[in-house]
Amino acid sequence: MLELKNGIGAKRYVKGISLGEGTYGVVFKALDTQTNRTVAVKKIRLGKYKEGVHVTALREIKLLKELRDPNIIELIDVYPHKRNLHLVFEFMESDLEAVIRDRNILLSPADVKSYMQMCLRGLAHCHKKWVLHRDLKPNNLLISSDGQLKLGDFGLARIFGSPDRKFTHQVFARWYRSPELLFGSKQYGSGVDIWAAGCIFAELLLRRPFLQGSSDIDQLGKIFQAFGTPRETQWPDMTSLPDYVEFQFTPAPALRSLFPMATEDALDLLSKMFAFDPKARITAQQALEHRYFSTDPAPTKAHLLLRPASKAEGMRPPPELASPKEPVVLSPPAKARRISLFPGVAGAEHIHHSKESKDGSSAATVGETPSDHSGMAITDRSYLKRKLDMDVHFEDERHV
Amino acid sequence: MAANFWTSSHCKRLLEQEEISVVSNDDRDRGLTQEDVKIIKIYFSSYIKKLAQRAKVRQRVVATAIAYFRRVYTRKSFSEYDPRLVAPTCLYLASKAEESTVQAKLLIFYMKQIGSDENGFRYDIKDILEMEMKLLEALDYYLVIYHPYRPLVQLLRDAGLSDMIEMCWSIVNDSYGTDLILMHPPYMIALACIYISCVINERDNRLWFEESRVDMTVIKNIAMQIFDFYDNYRLGFEDRIGAILLKLSQKS
Ligand SMILES: Nc1ncnc2c1ncn2[C@@H]1O[C@H](COP(=O)(O)OP(=O)(O)O)[C@@H](O)[C@H]1O
Ligand SMILES: [Mg+2]
Repeated sequence: MLELKNGIGAKRYVKGISLGEGTYGVVFKALDTQTNRTVAVKKIRLGKYKEGVHVTALREIKLLKELRDPNIIELIDVYPHKRNLHLVFEFMESDLEAVIRDRNILLSPADVKSYMQMCLRGLAHCHKKWVLHRDLKPNNLLISSDGQLKLGDFGLARIFGSPDRKFTHQVFARWYRSPELLFGSKQYGSGVDIWAAGCIFAELLLRRPFLQGSSDIDQLGKIFQAFGTPRETQWPDMTSLPDYVEFQFTPAPALRSLFPMATEDALDLLSKMFAFDPKARITAQQALEHRYFSTDPAPTKAHLLLRPASKAEGMRPPPELASPKEPVVLSPPAKARRISLFPGVAGAEHIHHSKESKDGSSAATVGETPSDHSGMAITDRSYLKRKLDMDVHFEDERHV
Repeated sequence: MAANFWTSSHCKRLLEQEEISVVSNDDRDRGLTQEDVKIIKIYFSSYIKKLAQRAKVRQRVVATAIAYFRRVYTRKSFSEYDPRLVAPTCLYLASKAEESTVQAKLLIFYMKQIGSDENGFRYDIKDILEMEMKLLEALDYYLVIYHPYRPLVQLLRDAGLSDMIEMCWSIVNDSYGTDLILMHPPYMIALACIYISCVINERDNRLWFEESRVDMTVIKNIAMQIFDFYDNYRLGFEDRIGAILLKLSQKS
């Protein structure tokens, strides 16, 4: 079958209508003649012989080839055609953004629970495989025709787990960015995805984006307005983050006042997903084991969830204006260029992150750690061989 | 060893020696022997390393590039895909996959700096980009490779042998002169490198190996392959590669 697939390439798929234009290519609906499944084919644009296969596409391919889970989009096939790379995904009817926007859909507590469970399951699988998604938002949570929610769009995802590697903090749409990212952390972990999932949870409850900052600083202001300004005891590492700025202290309002309709269990889980200290934040697996998912009402079965008629319908409510209650930046941070940053200054974040490289790479040199001096002298080798031969001997001794 | 290796595509795609060392019919027709193939792989592994040193990329990128190179030729013949183009393209692809992109035009520049033209290192950006697509296909789009470096550090710490890190690290580097990365879990290779270091330094850590309950026959087997490399294939083969590549360019 492998040979067949490679032989056929483009001929395996019958191209249909265009589904939309992505950041790096057009997406078409197509029929997979081998399986009779409807699929979505993403044609990756290639810059005219400049830098080959786009790194975003490469990232998506690399990670999706390692992930297989009912709650993660399936990469069915990849093939080159006329010098363009084509990624074949399972076809997804809708996405969570369209569901949230659709005023005709009433989201019951059981529905919200179902969506969150599917989202966290996909995330738990990613994290188990040491993959950070880094771009969770309702628009990237795709929904299949049988109602399954699946994590899609792995163009920003990366493998984590090597503590010395520095990452870029320019990930996620701003409203879903965790406080450690907003403070410029470059050594973050799976907590960043959990924060974003918390924002999505809140958005499902509120039917509007929860924390709609207009700049990075304003985003932090919105976060602290909702949860109170973190104290050092709550988040000891905070003050040593690269872009740390001190905010005026604001006490936390009762979480209940922000989500009047939510159950106690929902609020408890929500508060754990929004723990300031990433080390204290709940993990995807722990969240799935939270009592919220085992108490009534049970999550709605995926195929019973209502789906929006069309993606285009419904409009997002206009973003809220910065409210005067937001905490204000008290002290300018260490670097003077940030003095100019105030809540609501549009584009301020561009100033302060402009030097960050796009892919977050910070190339070190060959043979970085212990040294690059290769191998041993010839004398060592023959000596070594003798020792090895002797060694068989010492193994035998053990069994005496 | 990070829990993720066991569920990775790398783990599922580990190969046996016999699957790796077959000489394809195309190559055999051109008179390539198993020994020639071995020399080509060693020569180009060190070529990738040289190129990478110019480009100043991390060790990890070099290791991934060499693993790609070796993996590609378990499925393609040298006659079909010219190693002189495949090697730099593997480095190019690995640099992107490991998030430390090196521009193709820079690679071409470095190739010109170190390459000997008479051996046919005359490729251009366009060739690299074309080959990139072919390599992706040959690799079946599996790009994640695990390496012994991280388990090495953890294992040495666990064994209380962190002072041996330098020697072990360079033995790991040298292990890429073999196909071991396609055949064994990285932590086994790391263990074999620790084993070699222990023998050289006369450090008795039999107990630790015993406690780790690894199959010592496999570890010793890996160690022997590394020795074979040190004993017989350490020298770059600058003298022999020309003749071997010439065979490739001649139809039988
Ligand atoms: N698997 C899929 N099934 C159906 N439609 C899809 C699928 N993937 C993407 N699309 C559609 O194509 C558009 C562009 O996709 P994508 O490249 O992922 O977007 P972006 O890069 O803007 O996030 C999406 O907005 C969506 O409408
Ligand atoms: Mg998207």
